[in-house]
Amino acid sequence: MNATNPFRLEATGISKSYGAVSALVDANITLKPGEVMALLGENGAGKSTIVKIICGLISHDEGTIKIDGHEVELHTVNASQAAGIAVVHQEFSTVGNLTVAENLVLGQRGAPWWWSPRKLNSSARAILARVGLEDLDPSTPVEKLSLAEMQLVEIARVLAKDAKIVIFDEPTAALSDAEIERVLTVVKRLAAEGRSIIYVTHRLGEVFEIADQVVIFRNGGSQPPQKVSDLTVDKVVTMMIGRELGDLYPHRAETMGEVVLETRGLKVAGTRGEVNLRLRRGEILGLTGQLGSGTTNIMRAIAGAEDVLAGTVELDGTTLDLRSRRRGILSGVAYCSPDRKADGVFKGMTIRHNMSSPWLRRVSAFGIVNRGEESAEAARDASHFAIDQTRMNMSVGNLSGGNQQKVAVGKWLGIRPRVLLVEEPTRGVDVGARAEIYAQIRRLSDSGVGVIVSSSDTNEVLGLADTIVTFYRGAQTAIKPADEWTEPELVREVMHREEVLA
Amino acid sequence: MTTVQGSAIAFQERAGHRKAMDGTRNFALPILIVLVFIVASISVPQFLTFETIRAILLATSITGIMAAGMTAITLSGNLFSLGVTSSVVLSGVLFLWTTNATGSIFVGALAAILVALALGLGQGFIVGLGLNPVVVTLGAGAVIYGSTAMMTGGEVVQAETREAGRFATFAVADIPLPVLVLVAFTAVAWFLTERTTIGRDVHLVGWNRDTAKNSGISYMGTTIWAFLIFSVAIGVAAVMQVSQTLQVQADNFPELTMNVVAAVLIGGTAVSGGDGSPVKSVIGALFIATTAQIMVLAGVEQGTRLFVLGVVVVVLVITLHLLRRAGSR
Repeated sequence: MNATNPFRLEATGISKSYGAVSALVDANITLKPGEVMALLGENGAGKSTIVKIICGLISHDEGTIKIDGHEVELHTVNASQAAGIAVVHQEFSTVGNLTVAENLVLGQRGAPWWWSPRKLNSSARAILARVGLEDLDPSTPVEKLSLAEMQLVEIARVLAKDAKIVIFDEPTAALSDAEIERVLTVVKRLAAEGRSIIYVTHRLGEVFEIADQVVIFRNGGSQPPQKVSDLTVDKVVTMMIGRELGDLYPHRAETMGEVVLETRGLKVAGTRGEVNLRLRRGEILGLTGQLGSGTTNIMRAIAGAEDVLAGTVELDGTTLDLRSRRRGILSGVAYCSPDRKADGVFKGMTIRHNMSSPWLRRVSAFGIVNRGEESAEAARDASHFAIDQTRMNMSVGNLSGGNQQKVAVGKWLGIRPRVLLVEEPTRGVDVGARAEIYAQIRRLSDSGVGVIVSSSDTNEVLGLADTIVTFYRGAQTAIKPADEWTEPELVREVMHREEVLA
Repeated sequence: MTTVQGSAIAFQERAGHRKAMDGTRNFALPILIVLVFIVASISVPQFLTFETIRAILLATSITGIMAAGMTAITLSGNLFSLGVTSSVVLSGVLFLWTTNATGSIFVGALAAILVALALGLGQGFIVGLGLNPVVVTLGAGAVIYGSTAMMTGGEVVQAETREAGRFATFAVADIPLPVLVLVAFTAVAWFLTERTTIGRDVHLVGWNRDTAKNSGISYMGTTIWAFLIFSVAIGVAAVMQVSQTLQVQADNFPELTMNVVAAVLIGGTAVSGGDGSPVKSVIGALFIATTAQIMVLAGVEQGTRLFVLGVVVVVLVITLHLLRRAGSR
């Protein structure tokens, strides 16, 4: 490499796999000083994997990373920081009960082990001024700040490290438009100072406002970089999707019968406006929106797992009791959470005991479990989802993501569900198991169970659902039969109509 | 020895690393106890006598009953109750007072169990609201200790009739009643945790409280049940204990809480909840009692005894923890 190497960062041929699953295949990124590069892609496309590699959270299997022409090993977060890389995380990594000033020196290399509060605060003020927070008292505890202020403090923390390369991982996901503007201003200022910026986002509007070039990730690989001036919103959307609906998805509803479930003026915390949905027998209703769009709150409310502010839900003409999850189950409402590890399965327990967890009392008399009946029902339900009968005594934690998800959905068959609510039905699930899960969901719908699916994967909703309802920032925005949507339209709809129209 | 190693390797290859780790974890303690017995019967004179075995079982009975009950709380993901001592003392006081007043040890025992249940219900309810179980049970322990001291005026409460000792002296074929009660209580606790809906809920809530909520299982209800199971153990153990001493004072049995917690830990029940069994905890109590008895027979001083026991507990618990981590990888 000669001395006039123009690139601040060159990552070439980066690959990473987890077991048999490839998360990233031959990805390439180059970045010049003062340049803002936007990383785009759907969930699971590989953009967060490459960010994690560059900031030293995980190590790559193949490929090289050069900074200013020198090859570097970024196997730890410390090594990455030493190489001049800093990350503004999506989840706030500030410590709530410490002050703003204390958070600014937290985890910083080379920070002295003790600073007088006065010195701490004065150095903090200088840094805060650079992110437009000159009026903020550095001795305020971080937990008292607004979301936008926290995000700006997060950025200020990175500035305190004086990094050459700053990575922003969806910094605006939880912010309102006015707050986003503040963050974008700071990003522009950082670039003007000669720092290189990698900006990961789901919001297309921001890309056109701040980025110089765009790299789109798809199925774990990177597309060649594009100049923003050569791009349009439609071009970006097409490049992001880039795949066809194949045999992955089952047939559509043949007939749709009477209304099974209807929400009337439903209002839930975390959503804006009323949610009015109507689900007919044989129909799969698909809710879609980005993270934080409110679909989770709505699904949980119908399941009885979240407080309802106003409105009712009617199931087969009678009003559902939404006061607790237990009541929901007794009325035949099955609910699969979006994050099976967190609150969908019991990892340490066997498949059988996972399957029977919602309906154990049905196979028990006087509080004593009838183990024969339990095994028989669990085995019957497992066979519907093509779960290996010989592994019923295996811990769910030892199964693949696909099999875990089959257990998370399959366990509800035993409550004889009248409505099945599934969030993110195939997150982290391999293609083979995805097809099986889709097919079983369709079979349940055909057999008369009302099915509502919510997913942030627009392709999935388009392939599986008969009717699609879109949500943006907590509000229901559109409702149309699936065959009246095209994927670019749907992506544009959930990504914020105004931003795209602007 | 080589054949044992050979078959161990073949077993690992056949059933996989994880299963072998689980196997080691499940059978390590029983094997260790057998080894300790063999070594002790060869090296310590008078170890392998009926009297010694009887003494070990009797010593196991009190902590064993409570460890079996405590396992329900640990399984439910609520760590431990750290107010064991004061609850036992209060139950014991109630047993003696009621027995003295009515002349019936059965009414006395009933009173002891009822007061323990009331205390457990209150603590279970508060923990079920989401408060930290360690803080709640420590606090409750202090309050119970204080009220016992006030009620008794700090005086020793004495049994007025020798009738009160009947529970301790009664024996079937020379096996003392406390030992029989231990076996019966362990069997009941095992049945409750393994075969009933309540027991299954305890396991499920312990493994993953949020998944349990989504599956319609009440954390509050399950936690209360776990505390109630433990409370029965407290009441029964208090009756057995006081039947032996025939007197009780507010500051008695200071070592009980730690012994019970140590028995659960050595038994191998996961501190994080979900994984474990009351039977294992009783085996843990048996191990502690055996080790202590050997040292008594070998003439080890009390200070040294406590030190050695402490070291053994710490080493075993760390080993079990490492095995569990290796097994879950």
